[in-house]
Amino acid sequence: MKKYTLKRILTSLFTLLAILLVLFILMQLMPGSPFNDEKLNNDQRMALYAKYGLDQPIVVQFFNYVKNMLKGDFGVSYNISKNTPISQLIQTRLPVSIRIGGLAVSIGAVLGLLLGLVAALEHDTIWDSLATVISVIGVSVPSYVFALTLSYTLGFRMGWFPMLYKEKQAFASSALPSIALSMFTMASIARFTRSEMLEVLGSDYMLLAESKGISGAALIFRHALRNALIPIITVLAPLIVDLMTGSLVVEKIFSIPGVGSLLVTAIQSNDYNVVIALSFIYSAMYIAIMLVVDILYGIIDPRIRLTKED
Amino acid sequence: MKTGKASGAAAGVLQPAYIPQDGDFRLKEDADKIAIDTNFAAQSFWKDVLVRYFKKISAVIGLVLILLISAMAVVGPGMNAYTYSEQNLSQKNFAPRVRVLEGLGIFDGDETIKTTTGTKVANLYKDKELDDLYYWFGSDNFGRDIWTRTWSGARVSLIIAVAAAVIDMVIGMSYGLISGYFGGKVDMLMQRFLEVANGIPRLVIVTLLLLVLQPGMLTIIFALMLTEWVGMSRIARAEMLKLKEQEFVLASRTLGAGSFFIIFREILPNIIGPIITQVMFSIPTAIFTEAFLSFVGLGIPVPQCSLGSLISEGFNSFTTHPYQIVPPIVVMALLMLSFNMVADGLREALDPKLKEM
Repeated sequence: MKKYTLKRILTSLFTLLAILLVLFILMQLMPGSPFNDEKLNNDQRMALYAKYGLDQPIVVQFFNYVKNMLKGDFGVSYNISKNTPISQLIQTRLPVSIRIGGLAVSIGAVLGLLLGLVAALEHDTIWDSLATVISVIGVSVPSYVFALTLSYTLGFRMGWFPMLYKEKQAFASSALPSIALSMFTMASIARFTRSEMLEVLGSDYMLLAESKGISGAALIFRHALRNALIPIITVLAPLIVDLMTGSLVVEKIFSIPGVGSLLVTAIQSNDYNVVIALSFIYSAMYIAIMLVVDILYGIIDPRIRLTKED
Repeated sequence: MKTGKASGAAAGVLQPAYIPQDGDFRLKEDADKIAIDTNFAAQSFWKDVLVRYFKKISAVIGLVLILLISAMAVVGPGMNAYTYSEQNLSQKNFAPRVRVLEGLGIFDGDETIKTTTGTKVANLYKDKELDDLYYWFGSDNFGRDIWTRTWSGARVSLIIAVAAAVIDMVIGMSYGLISGYFGGKVDMLMQRFLEVANGIPRLVIVTLLLLVLQPGMLTIIFALMLTEWVGMSRIARAEMLKLKEQEFVLASRTLGAGSFFIIFREILPNIIGPIITQVMFSIPTAIFTEAFLSFVGLGIPVPQCSLGSLISEGFNSFTTHPYQIVPPIVVMALLMLSFNMVADGLREALDPKLKEM
């Protein structure tokens, strides 16, 4: 197990470095430079290059770059808000994104678990088919289609929720985007819970528990669900990562001042520094979550630990 | 517990042994499960797969929908006189109007507009006295026919998605097969590279690549190509590891076959099932990613359109003219749904031992 953990950590670090290299190369390849202003003469441009350290050899530039990125110093924004440090831009936006993402994961996980549980317990009935239909739709229809539909019906027509994010009504404004984002999580969790529960319910130890006289809720929650939960937890983590990236368009639709809409704005206004910084943060979070999950897999479920070691 | 007590108290009062009663037992009633005593005619694997596939209703519905949408993507843009890029600024934002249906009170060009003073019904066809004009799905902000644009958008999206999925398949499959077959150092190196590539979020790769390259159909296909091959190669490798120690491989090697002959001619045909399923699953992902890219402005350049760019255009006016965003959204949602249903059906048909869902 120790060897496996160490190997996983090393791979993660290496991946992070590879991402930094890719980002750095892309930075060099970006069409045009932020100093493309025709009013600048050559001397002024050189002075700007010197100011941002762009006149040094490329290897030195890369090492400076790695050092700065790891310190959380992502440079300044060129276009969106001139000369504001990017870390400052992100600091105000990250909590909003995390709140909506967290809400979406919670809604999705709870509803998905219930839906899957109902489907498994009422196996081969109309409830089961209904749950299947819901989960197929949830998995295949993209989140922003839900977002647009909710925004038009509940937001615009009914006027129950604000269509655009308002700082003062943070909770009411988070409702629609969270629901839209939670659909995919809900559907995948429901599918997974159903198949895991069916497997657990058919197992011998459930038969034993039942014949020992344990009944009803205790049987389902203490014996069945607990064993079904292990694999479900392991699918939930990648979903959290997906939510972060999937929220880009949804944040744009509800104009939520989060990290996702910042990335979209940055792409649209060619603010490369911001795009690169956010890509790095996304990648780092992704790698970190994947690392934690992979190590947790082994701790929670010894069967996985054994297969991973060969 | 009961037997323990009984033997411990044997010296004292002898307790009567527990006699089972009828209420303690109930029949499991699994007669259907036991009764598998039917005879099957010998039939080929693929025929069996077909039979199983067409037994599943959702899979059949999915297949029909895909065929229908693909057919419309081919013939739809030619069904009226408009072209996808033709603008007519005097006829913008016309509501949908269809010849026969207008008599029924739907699709008659009426549009309910919400204003500050309340709602009112407007009909631009009547206002401008254009009695012979029909935009089946309405016209957009530049006076372009949404019917034509929806179907040519579907065509572009389908081409991108299918091309990306097929290229993914070729790359991922070859990578996984080679890595699995040779094993040892080759496998180690290839798997480490894959782990690093897999550690980078997909959307980050695609976004950054499209910032650097010129947007266009080929670049989008190229960017999408880089995202799905990892999953495909994992499946191919796992299947290869299962098969490579089997006798038919040994036999082929004994007969003097080279590595590449064994990989692509002997083993590949045996694992084509899971690979096709995976392709089907990666098509909706590609459609979604393309739509996302269009939404953030990295998609197909104007005047060409894809489902994603149509949705993104419709979004700008979706509260005032909701009919503009409905056709592309419905077509895209149906496409993704039906590809998923087909993939699910295929997976079950190809591997009957698989657990449900």
